[in-house]
Amino acid sequence: MASGIARGRLTEERKSWRKNHPHGFVAKPETTNDGTVNLMIWHCTIPGKAGTDWEGGFFPLTMHFSEDYPSKPPKCKFPQGFFHPNVYPSGTVCLSILNEDYGWRPAITVKQILVGIQDLLDTPNPADPAQTDGYHLFCQDPVEYKKRVKLQSKQYPPIV
Amino acid sequence: MDSEDDMLDAHDMESGDDDFYSGGTDDYNDTDDDVEPDYGLIEEDADNSAMIASHRSQKNYLVLKEEDICRHQKDDIGRVSMVLSISEVEASILLLHYRWSVSKLHDEWFADEERVRRTVGILEGPVVSTPDGGELTCGICFDSFRVEEIVSASCGHPFCPTCWTGYISTTINDGPGCLLLKCPDPSCPAAVGRDMIEKLASKEDKKKYYRYFLRSYIEDNRKMKWCPAPGCEHAIDFAAGTGSSDVSCLCSHSFCWNCTEEAHRPVDCDTVAQWIRKNSAESENMNWILANSKPCPKCKRPIEKNHGCMHMTCTPPCKYEFCWLCLNAWSDHGERTGGFYACNRYEAAKQEGLYDEAEKRREMAKNSLERYTHYYERWASNQVSRQKAIGELQKMQTVKLKKLGDIQWTPESQLKFITEAWLQIIECRRVLKWTYAYGYYLADQAKRQFFEYLQGEAESGLERLHKCVEKELEEFQHAEGPSEGFHQFRTKLTGFTSTTKTFFENLVKALENGLADVDSQAASSKSTNSKASKTKGGGKDKGSSKNGGSSRNPDDN
Repeated sequence: MASGIARGRLTEERKSWRKNHPHGFVAKPETTNDGTVNLMIWHCTIPGKAGTDWEGGFFPLTMHFSEDYPSKPPKCKFPQGFFHPNVYPSGTVCLSILNEDYGWRPAITVKQILVGIQDLLDTPNPADPAQTDGYHLFCQDPVEYKKRVKLQSKQYPPIV
Repeated sequence: MDSEDDMLDAHDMESGDDDFYSGGTDDYNDTDDDVEPDYGLIEEDADNSAMIASHRSQKNYLVLKEEDICRHQKDDIGRVSMVLSISEVEASILLLHYRWSVSKLHDEWFADEERVRRTVGILEGPVVSTPDGGELTCGICFDSFRVEEIVSASCGHPFCPTCWTGYISTTINDGPGCLLLKCPDPSCPAAVGRDMIEKLASKEDKKKYYRYFLRSYIEDNRKMKWCPAPGCEHAIDFAAGTGSSDVSCLCSHSFCWNCTEEAHRPVDCDTVAQWIRKNSAESENMNWILANSKPCPKCKRPIEKNHGCMHMTCTPPCKYEFCWLCLNAWSDHGERTGGFYACNRYEAAKQEGLYDEAEKRREMAKNSLERYTHYYERWASNQVSRQKAIGELQKMQTVKLKKLGDIQWTPESQLKFITEAWLQIIECRRVLKWTYAYGYYLADQAKRQFFEYLQGEAESGLERLHKCVEKELEEFQHAEGPSEGFHQFRTKLTGFTSTTKTFFENLVKALENGLADVDSQAASSKSTNSKASKTKGGGKDKGSSKNGGSSRNPDDN
């Protein structure tokens, strides 16, 4: 039953995204080599917020939807080793609204998730650390932390 | 058989008696001191019937059958619904949230109704208004539906029935967390109640939901527990803070309320847990669990850590957040305690040696395999012996007593001494079994000697009794007609039963006070024993031995 919903909902999500989406963001279902579209994996880009150390970076994020979507949240992954206190070494984002036991509700849209993650970039949650590197620097060495963030933003320039 | 029925009736009456039950815990406590004489009477009655393990049980608990549970649950819901003037569905949501504590719920509600409504998610009116006609978009599948098709919780957020069904089904299949279901809209606090489940869930999911609902009444309730016997579906309602924690279910399984292992009086729960862990055939598994998991500090379920961060969150409905290192509440943590990767509390405690003790104990246990085998064999053989005795008692009650009565021209009511002997054996085997676990962990040399003396006395008394009822009874069972010696046999067996009882009471008492007065008791127990072997009154000397016994004897001497 749920599997029926997943694809239908994602089709609608795609439609609504094309109609209107926040500036600088990209969200597109994966196109496989033979040209077919895989609705269950989306390749997205999240721009760093203007006026923050993340500005200028366009960060690639992959969303993996399961057949249980939208009853279960999608898994959102930055590239492996992404520098941020709330991103696991694997790249998986640790965010309350993406946790099925907590904040996830089926009515949360792709747009809300992406904006939520953009917001998380500059306002990490020190109560829920997911990697040692980012967390330690964030707490103990703000100067070095800032440097690393800016460096990373440069590593992900806009795709033209 | 008769006697067992009596017991069932007694329990039925108890659990049917709602007023008594709802009177609260005070009732239980009062009876303990004030009404002692009455209890004496009741107890003697109970003794004569088939109370296997609860000889001393003062009824500080009730056994609930499934229908009793349903009725209690319904009563509680009804009461709350009436007192707070809310629907039964809302009352259920509140009770689930307050873990079925009616009094706590009342307190909170009358202190601040608004806050309770907000936290639990019972809204007073919709936050989204629904138009009279036209179409609405389902918030999950984004399809359009006519307004009549749309379904909402009390908040009014619109979703189509298919999506509701999917949402409900997923949460139900995720476990008992479904009982606290909320509206699918992000950050909407509205609770989804039983009425919605009833309307929207599949038949199978509904069945699961109601199962969780019933289970919650026992599992979330601090004073209820399921009987742990395999296949038994009864629950125990226990009044905390009173006397013995051994309880006896209608299924005849008796267990310890605290740790839910089988009844193990006089040995304490820690010793038993340690012993059982040791005995576990899957000790490899156990080692793994010990090494890789820790019990949730709140609900005690073992938790495996499979992610990097020390911030642990138990699965719903517990949801307790704690630190993996020090096992204290996560809310106590922050920069102050050294951040999240090096918990200072843990490091400090480790330096003080707080965490070493468990490891040391484990180490010691490993090195004493031989000793262990000695105790284990005796523990296990008493267990087997007890099982056999239970089987024999059943045979006795169903067939053999009647036959024996016919042969010996004695009415069955006069053969109760045989049943009593068996009951005594069953109880003694249980105690004896656990004393071997106790002995295994007993380090003090002087205490050990005294303990082994008491255990030896008790054991030889029990063996004599067991042999008497097992072997000597044979003869009378296969006789052609009434035997001359039968009367003598009765006197002998009754005597053995009461002697054994005394031996075991001494043993139990001595262990319960931790073998405190090793010297004075060694003398007194001898005198008690010799006295007891002359007494042939069965249950009559019970009162005195219970209250006075060893503690009074030193003064007498």
